[in-house]
Amino acid sequence: MNLMPSCKDVRENLTEYMEGKLPLSRRMGIRIHLMMCKVCDGLLHTLQTLPTFAKEVLRAPAEAPAEAKETYDRFLKNIRETSKS
Amino acid sequence: METPNGTHVLERAINGDSDAFGALVEPHLPMFYNAIYRILGDRADSQDALQDALMAIHRDLPKFEGRSAFSSWAYRVCINNALMVRRARVRRKEDAMEDLVSQNPDEGRPMDADASLRWSTDPDAFNKIEHKEMREKMMAVLDKMSDAHRVVFILKDLEDWTTEAIAEHLEISASVVRQRLHRGRLFVLERMRPFVLGRPT
Ligand SMILES: [Zn+2]
Repeated sequence: MNLMPSCKDVRENLTEYMEGKLPLSRRMGIRIHLMMCKVCDGLLHTLQTLPTFAKEVLRAPAEAPAEAKETYDRFLKNIRETSKS
Repeated sequence: METPNGTHVLERAINGDSDAFGALVEPHLPMFYNAIYRILGDRADSQDALQDALMAIHRDLPKFEGRSAFSSWAYRVCINNALMVRRARVRRKEDAMEDLVSQNPDEGRPMDADASLRWSTDPDAFNKIEHKEMREKMMAVLDKMSDAHRVVFILKDLEDWTTEAIAEHLEISASVVRQRLHRGRLFVLERMRPFVLGRPT
């Protein structure tokens, strides 16, 4: 039985690994691989930081609250006018 | 709504009281807009999506059964509208580029071993590239992703939904969610990495 997964195998399963969804033997195999393989361990780290990175890149600009309020005010004005008529 | 008074506000809003509607929506407006903006990354599109979402919230308010907080129900309406606007936008671009479909040689290419190296989380490295430029690149990458992968990536990594909530929302299994999430993450990673680790000088 081959306990030690290949790099390809590890990379394909890192999200499942991060979510703790793999059976114990697979999980152990990947954990051992990650201790010995800097490249796969680097990918794991990158995947873990991706949500923070993506949120930071895509965060709304400083003028967002004003833009939201503008749209909202226009909308309220609209429904008030519609309900009056 | 959570407060005892809130039920009352909800009823009044359903009965067409626009002040009551405002009292429900306004406290959450920044959250709604930020979520929409993260998905669309563009001012005009975000304002359109918010407008559509407000209309949908207003229209569907009688259907809101109060099983969840108003804010989380309305937030989902916003997310759905933003995703719809995004899909429509990608379609528009695809139509415009129909003749050029054959290009995209890197689709489905396995990652280079090198592509999976750690990327720097050092804030200095991040600041080397203009935030705006980075956002445009990220938006372009999301545009190239398939609908199925994009929606999962957005809900999970940008909106922090649980895998189970995404599975339920999209009516697919949690394991399919994880597979799509993983493909989506690798897709983003591979295309964003050169950007993060620096451009050729
Ligand atoms: Zn490896």
